[in-house]
Amino acid sequence: MVSHERWPAVTRTDAFKEKVSKAKILAVGAGGIGCELLKTLVLSGFQHIAVVDMDTIETSNLNRQFLFRREHVGQSKAVVAAEAVKRLRPDAQITAHQANIKEDRFGIDFFDGFDLVLNGLDNLDARRHVNRMCHAARVPLVESGTSGYTGQVSVHGQLSRAETPSTSQPAIEAECFECQPKAAPKTYPVCTIRNTPDKPIHCVVWAKEMLFQRLFGRQEGVSDLDSHQAAEPPSEADKEALALQKDDASAFLMVPGESIEGYSRRIFDRLYCSDIKRLLSVQDLWKARTKPKPLDLAELVPINAPSAGPSHVNGHANGHPNGTSEAAVASASAALGLTDDHAMWSTADNAKVFLKAIELYRTVRAQDLGAAVFDKEDLLACEFVTAAANLRSIVFGIPTQSLFDTKGMAGNIIHAIATTNAIVSGLIVGEAMKLVANMPHKCRVSWLNERPNPKTVINPVELSTRAPDCAVCGPALLTLHTNTHTATLGDLVSQVLKGSMGLSQPWSITCSDFMYEEDEDLEEDEADTYAALSPRPLKDLPGGGLGNGAVVSIADQPLLEDGSPARKRSMQLIIRHQADWDGQRDPSQQFRLIGSVPAPVPPAGAAEGQKAGADDDEDDVPLLMENGAGEDEDEIVILPAAEKRPADAQLKRKAEVAEADAAENPSPKRRRAE
Amino acid sequence: MRRRSEPREDLPHVTSRRWIALLDKRTLSIPHVPLRDRKYDRQLRIWGAHGQQLLESSRVCLLHCGPTGSETLKNLVLGGIAAFTVVDDAKVQPHDLGNNFLLDSSSLGKSKAQHVTTLLEELNESVAGSFVEESPSTLLETNPDFFLSFTLVIATQMIEPDVIKLEDLCHSLEIKLLVVRSYGLVGSLRASLQEQTVIESKPDNHVENLRFHKPWRELEDFAMSIDLATADDILHKHTPYAILLIQATKQWHATHGPELPQNAREKQAYRDILQSWQRRIDDVPIEEENFTEAIENSRKVFAPPGIGREVQMVLYDPKAMELDPRSSDFWVLAAALRDFVEGEGEGCLPIEGSIPDMWATTELFLALQRVYRDKAERDTAAVRGHLARRLASIGRDAAAIDAKTLRNFVKHAHCLRVVRWRRLAQEVAPGTCDAAALRQALGDEDTAANACLYLLLRAVDRFHTLHARFPGCYDGEFEDDVPLLKSVAVGMLAEVGLASGALVDDLVHEVVRCGTLVYNAMASTTSVFQF
Repeated sequence: MVSHERWPAVTRTDAFKEKVSKAKILAVGAGGIGCELLKTLVLSGFQHIAVVDMDTIETSNLNRQFLFRREHVGQSKAVVAAEAVKRLRPDAQITAHQANIKEDRFGIDFFDGFDLVLNGLDNLDARRHVNRMCHAARVPLVESGTSGYTGQVSVHGQLSRAETPSTSQPAIEAECFECQPKAAPKTYPVCTIRNTPDKPIHCVVWAKEMLFQRLFGRQEGVSDLDSHQAAEPPSEADKEALALQKDDASAFLMVPGESIEGYSRRIFDRLYCSDIKRLLSVQDLWKARTKPKPLDLAELVPINAPSAGPSHVNGHANGHPNGTSEAAVASASAALGLTDDHAMWSTADNAKVFLKAIELYRTVRAQDLGAAVFDKEDLLACEFVTAAANLRSIVFGIPTQSLFDTKGMAGNIIHAIATTNAIVSGLIVGEAMKLVANMPHKCRVSWLNERPNPKTVINPVELSTRAPDCAVCGPALLTLHTNTHTATLGDLVSQVLKGSMGLSQPWSITCSDFMYEEDEDLEEDEADTYAALSPRPLKDLPGGGLGNGAVVSIADQPLLEDGSPARKRSMQLIIRHQADWDGQRDPSQQFRLIGSVPAPVPPAGAAEGQKAGADDDEDDVPLLMENGAGEDEDEIVILPAAEKRPADAQLKRKAEVAEADAAENPSPKRRRAE
Repeated sequence: MRRRSEPREDLPHVTSRRWIALLDKRTLSIPHVPLRDRKYDRQLRIWGAHGQQLLESSRVCLLHCGPTGSETLKNLVLGGIAAFTVVDDAKVQPHDLGNNFLLDSSSLGKSKAQHVTTLLEELNESVAGSFVEESPSTLLETNPDFFLSFTLVIATQMIEPDVIKLEDLCHSLEIKLLVVRSYGLVGSLRASLQEQTVIESKPDNHVENLRFHKPWRELEDFAMSIDLATADDILHKHTPYAILLIQATKQWHATHGPELPQNAREKQAYRDILQSWQRRIDDVPIEEENFTEAIENSRKVFAPPGIGREVQMVLYDPKAMELDPRSSDFWVLAAALRDFVEGEGEGCLPIEGSIPDMWATTELFLALQRVYRDKAERDTAAVRGHLARRLASIGRDAAAIDAKTLRNFVKHAHCLRVVRWRRLAQEVAPGTCDAAALRQALGDEDTAANACLYLLLRAVDRFHTLHARFPGCYDGEFEDDVPLLKSVAVGMLAEVGLASGALVDDLVHEVVRCGTLVYNAMASTTSVFQF
């Protein structure tokens, strides 16, 4: 029997099969990877699976998300996928949640209920969230992503759950998903976008993020670009140009009594003629640049030309508003006979599509006005952005693009095929099995390459250990049991924070919007505000309260033995509500703290010599891909920063891409389904 | 380069109002992006319309529809092949349920091929499915003509002797063959085709053929039309590096003769020419982005891309040298391309027409691009002339290969490839087997385990031939089967003169233990390494 305790021999034992059938799995995402993963999981004997996905099924999913059929378009991915795999294994228990994994109900307790979390996600934000929840709940995480022919599977977190603290085997901890920095999304300086575009992408960003939003979207969303503080001051010329464009949101509204045609033509003239003339008046901008050339709409599309045609407002009632229904899809280019997605539209074509798209939004899509969100699956939105971006490109002497290419850029479409997802999900299940078998030392990070590298297409590598300075898994993790209805903030501070944890000033605790700190240098009114919170029960504190499952971040700066300040220290404290504890009766028994506070460490600099050696391997570690089977990742973030060069050095064709830390500069746009 | 160009006045809107009314109705009833394009959007962005078209003309025959075969075919059906046929004589057994996603309890006792076909058809309505309820090996014996209608045969879970027979047939019919096998936690995949010609091989690192070292007349004239000495500062720092390199090369030849810079000293002398042209303040060169780019890209002058070895192999392949009426379009095109290289091209491939991004004014960039594009047009026209002659010489119509195909071929001239496979029959026969390669693979730490598994998977098939069963398939015989399988493998090594030391006992155990078990995770993974 001893030989069966080895991998992979162990997979044939009844004990292993039993473990697999009992393991509780959380699958996050039911898209390209998710469909394959769910299928492979149930066919490998897993029987308890919860699946969370907030998306609905799109036509463009059908080339790989094989659990879905044409008739499912528009329905919940999680629900349809769960039903499909249940048919494969009627004895499996599959729970579907059509929801965003970031919702409150999927708190630590929810994650804690699983033995394994398997990610098939399409965006970095959700990946980070799941990583943090897994870390807090001490659940191992298998992360994955694909893009075209390439993909990767990695294993993170505490890999062996210390269910029996008596075992001498130490818990194996791999690096968390955020131990290694992730590539930040591309950003573009706002001045380039607004005043001096010189690449097609600049015009696409302008059309999608600024114009589309302004004309059809939520008005409050528009101001994002204007109100941000620039990281570097714009040049004088840029400032002048920006000032010219300020405060004119009302100009994009339809005037009472205005016809749709009159309106759309007025918007056109404003964007491609009068705004451009105003920009031209800022002469400093054009000293070293090619001047933009305003467009004359009357010349391109004479008034009364039949191009815009009459609209048929009827016939939409049976259609899905964002183009998922096969019938009744509003399309400006179809109305104009532009049937080739890959063709380049002429200037006049672009102008006609622009006018027609506004008309269609004002008629058949009127219910979306004021709330439209750009969606790459929405044909009309893509057409509008293509035409609007192309017209701007023409004005600035930039090459134009086809509908197909613009859609790819505006939607940040990640290539996706069934085969890569199948390989990756097979690998995920392999890692899941090793974890279920409690053989974490067998786990590997696997890289799937487009070509053999050097001789194999799949390259497994050993797991990395935690990065000591990781902001997520680096801090010590402690758990605090208490009755959050009766224990007060004052009790927490005196008995736990300053008591058993022995924090030294200055220290602070934060939990979402709530913050409390102690520091000699606090202003009087700040200290008063904090003092007023002191008698409140934990669950009634601002920002949602410190209830069950809340994760409190703690930071302080202790002193070393010699009295000098140590390195700043951070910890995470998970609150566990104990409803049956009555702190009133025995105040000394209100709290039970599990975990230990890390010892003070000398400040950085003392350990530098060591660190240099430790970094040696990092060049060989490829960056984790951030894309899952879906494609909403890498939203274009407009960084409201001034261009970095003086104006006379800007005449160039090079992309000016500012790298921003995604964590510090979250996208101003929210994802569509949130 | 895609640039707004000729206004298109041939659109219906200028014809009549009735047209418009018609179109407008269409606006509201038919999505203008064909469903096909929307469904395949994410993959079209990988392999393009041409790749999709090839996929959509594939007719695939699957032999055996267990987990490996079903998973394989699923991925192809989703991608949109034209048609498939499943060949399997088995009825659905209880043990089939639970590891094949296309089977459920309602299919028990029914034809496996039929059931799998029905469900696969549901995955994609544009794919036509059919099935034959017969054993693949029987079909191979009794009705070899059956395979004639396919472009690809995928043989899954078949043993070596059957595979060799199938390969014989596929070769004679010029059908592509893929052999896929899952065995426990191990899988193997082997393609067997006579040859595969590739136009768009998508190499990782492609250096554009920009001809800085050998500009044609128009390019040189254009480059020399800019006088750096008299240019204003703005023009000076926005002269594209292509022009700087062409001018520097001309000066180099004027002072150093016809040879390009060879060694480090000469290369530095070349870069010094560029640096000497930079504008200065107090004799310190001011930073000019275009000069930095020129210096970085000067290796494109020293080591011009030329014609790669693999492309040479295509151009001078016997099939391109000796055309006959049965020559495929690829080889006729290759011959025409060679005519160009040896003629007008003066040893160079045709210009591709696109240029990389470079620091420049928009006007200069576009003008430069036009020079390249015009040359690309002329080169393509020249190849077209050769093609017409070549076609005529083998009695085919001069227009037999359309302009679009030609253009695509010329555009990808730098990445043409021909791949030929060794026959499986040669690979396994003791007389023709490459024993040296096997010895090396077994000896090298990186490849030893895979090589050992390769041998064992073949040993398993020979075991099957000898004992009419797979090793380890009966629990009771497990202990006996380990030495039996090992002796088979040792015998195979001996046949090709190799010692048995390379066999890893653990792997022998593992292969016997996993018996014929197929893990879905493994099947899912193995099934996809083919496109």
